[in-house]
Amino acid sequence: MTAKAVDDHAHSEQWAETSHCRVSAVRRFGAFTAFELVAPRIAGKAAPGQFVMVTVPGGGFLLRRPLSMFTVHGDRAGLLVEARGAGSERLAGLEVGETVDLAGPLGSAFPTKGVTNALLVGGGIGCAPLQYLADELVTAGANVTAAFGFRDFRAARAAGAFAVERLWVASEDGAVGRRGTVMDVLAELDAPPNTVVYACGPAAMIGAVQRWTLEQGLRGYASLEAHMACGSGSCRGCVVDTTRGKLRVCSEGPVFALDEVRP
Amino acid sequence: MTPPLELEQVMLAVELGPLRLEHPLVDASGTFDLLEYARRYRGDFFADFPYAAYVPKTVTADARTGNPPPRVTETPSGMINGIGLENPGIDAWIGGLSEWAALRRPVIVSVGGNSPDQYAAVVRALETHLASAFAATVPRLEGFELNVSCPNVAGGPQIGADPAATAAVVGACRAETTRFLLVKLTPNVSDVTLAARAAVEAGADGLSLVNTFKAMVLDRETLRPFLGNRTGGLCGPAIKPIALRMVAEVAQALPGVPLVGMGGVISGLDALEFIACGATAVGVGAANFTGFEAPSRIVAELRAELAARGFASPAAARGIALDA
Repeated sequence: MTAKAVDDHAHSEQWAETSHCRVSAVRRFGAFTAFELVAPRIAGKAAPGQFVMVTVPGGGFLLRRPLSMFTVHGDRAGLLVEARGAGSERLAGLEVGETVDLAGPLGSAFPTKGVTNALLVGGGIGCAPLQYLADELVTAGANVTAAFGFRDFRAARAAGAFAVERLWVASEDGAVGRRGTVMDVLAELDAPPNTVVYACGPAAMIGAVQRWTLEQGLRGYASLEAHMACGSGSCRGCVVDTTRGKLRVCSEGPVFALDEVRP
Repeated sequence: MTPPLELEQVMLAVELGPLRLEHPLVDASGTFDLLEYARRYRGDFFADFPYAAYVPKTVTADARTGNPPPRVTETPSGMINGIGLENPGIDAWIGGLSEWAALRRPVIVSVGGNSPDQYAAVVRALETHLASAFAATVPRLEGFELNVSCPNVAGGPQIGADPAATAAVVGACRAETTRFLLVKLTPNVSDVTLAARAAVEAGADGLSLVNTFKAMVLDRETLRPFLGNRTGGLCGPAIKPIALRMVAEVAQALPGVPLVGMGGVISGLDALEFIACGATAVGVGAANFTGFEAPSRIVAELRAELAARGFASPAAARGIALDA
C-alpha cells in the first residue's frame, strides 16, 4: 500500500474514543503490572467501572483485550493487567515509551450518586476497577472501606498497587494480610445500614458477596469478567446469566445490580 | 502489468445478483451489530454505514439462548467462537425492525434453523410482514442468506455438509420468496462444490463461503475443552488460504453464480484476493473485532490495491486467479 487512501466512508475519526496511546509509567507487582498511558480523550470521558479494549502490540495478536480502568489522573489512564495467557503476558511486559491502541471507555459505570458509605470487595485482578471507584467516591466525600482478596503470595503482591485508606487484605496462603478469603474479612466488618457494596472478582466471590449483602440487608453492584472478542456488543461472546436473561458484559455491563446477577 | 490508476479512477460498485452494492464489502453475519455501533457513533451511523450491505446476526424461528460461556478466545492468527446462534426468534426480531429502518443500505437477512420447515418459517414470517408494513418502518430487506453451516448448534451434523439436506432447505425457502437467495456454505466438507451445486440447482441465486471451521481449543491449565460448547468455529487469518481455495473451486465449478467470499479478511489485499478467486462481494468477520475503523479502512485499502494494479473496478480483477 502506498499513500493513505482516500476513505470512502471517512468516519474513523469520529470514533473519538480510539486512541494511539504512549505508556508513560510502569510498575510491576508479582503477576500484575500497573501501567499508565497518555490518553486524554479516554481519561476525559471515563467513569469508574468502565473498561477499554487494548490492542496487544507487536503483531501476532488479533483480538483486543478488555481491561478495566484502574486509575484516571488528568490525561492519564491507568490499567492493571494480570499475565494469564500469551496476550496478557505481552501487555504485562509493556515498557515506558511503547504505544498501544485503546478503544473506550466502554460499558456501564458504577452508580455513585448519593453514596455516603461504600464497601468495595475485590478478588484478584477484579480489584482493578475498585481503585478508580475508591478515588471517585473519596473525592465525592464518601466513606470508603475496601476488602481485597488474593490467591497466593505472588498475586497478593498486587495489594501494593492499591491506595485506599481503609483497605483490608486477605490471602488464601496468609502471605499478605489475613489468611483466608475476602469473605472472612467481611464477616468481621461492621457495615452501616446505608452501605453500598461494590464487588468485582471471580464468579464464586461474586456469589458469596451477593448472599452476604442480602443477609446484611444492603444493596450493591457487581462488575463481571468475561472473555470478549469485540468488546462492543456485536459478537455476543461475553454473555452472562441475569434475572433479565442473558446480557452482554461488554454492553449492558460490566456493572450490574448485585441482586440481578446469577454467578 | 497494467500501469497504476489514480484512486478516483477506481469505481468500487458491484452488482451482486440484483443487489447494487456501492463497493464489494459486507459484514459476515454475527460480527457486526448495527445498533451497537449506532449507539457509540457520533454521527448518523445509518447514513454512514461502512458496509455496502448489512448482514445481521442469524435469526431462527424460535428464540435461542446460545451456548454456555466461555464462548470466544484467540487462537494463533485467528479466533474461535461457540456462540450458538443466540437470537430472539423471528417474531421479536421483526418487532425490532423499525429501530433500524433508517439504514439506507440493502439488508441480507441471515436465516438459521434445524429443518427446512424452520428456515421456511422465518422467510415466510418476514415476507408476510413486508407485504403489509409501512415502508418507513422497515429497512431495505433485499435478500436472504441461508446459514446452513453454523458449527455450534446441537442436532447432528451441519445441514450444509449434506447436499441433499441443503437442497431441501433451499427448496423450502425458494417457495416462500422471490428475493435474492444466498446459501452460506460450510468448509467442513471434502468437496465444497457438491453442496454448492445442490444449492444452486434447488434455486439459490448465489453462494457465500466460507463459514467457520469446526475446531477445538483446550484450557492451558486443565487441558479440558476451553469453550462451554467444547467445540467452536475457527475464523480469522489462519483460515484465509483454505477459504480462498474453496471460493476458487466453487467459482470454477459454477461460473456465473454470484459469490460472497470470506474467511480471514483483515486488509484490502485480502479482499482483492477473494475477488481474484471469483468472488463478487467479500465478507468481513473477525476484523470487526480488531477495531471500529476496520470496515472503512478495508474499503479504502481495496481501492488502493485495485488502483495500484491498474484495475478500474473489482469486476476487472474478478476471477483472474482461476484457470482459464
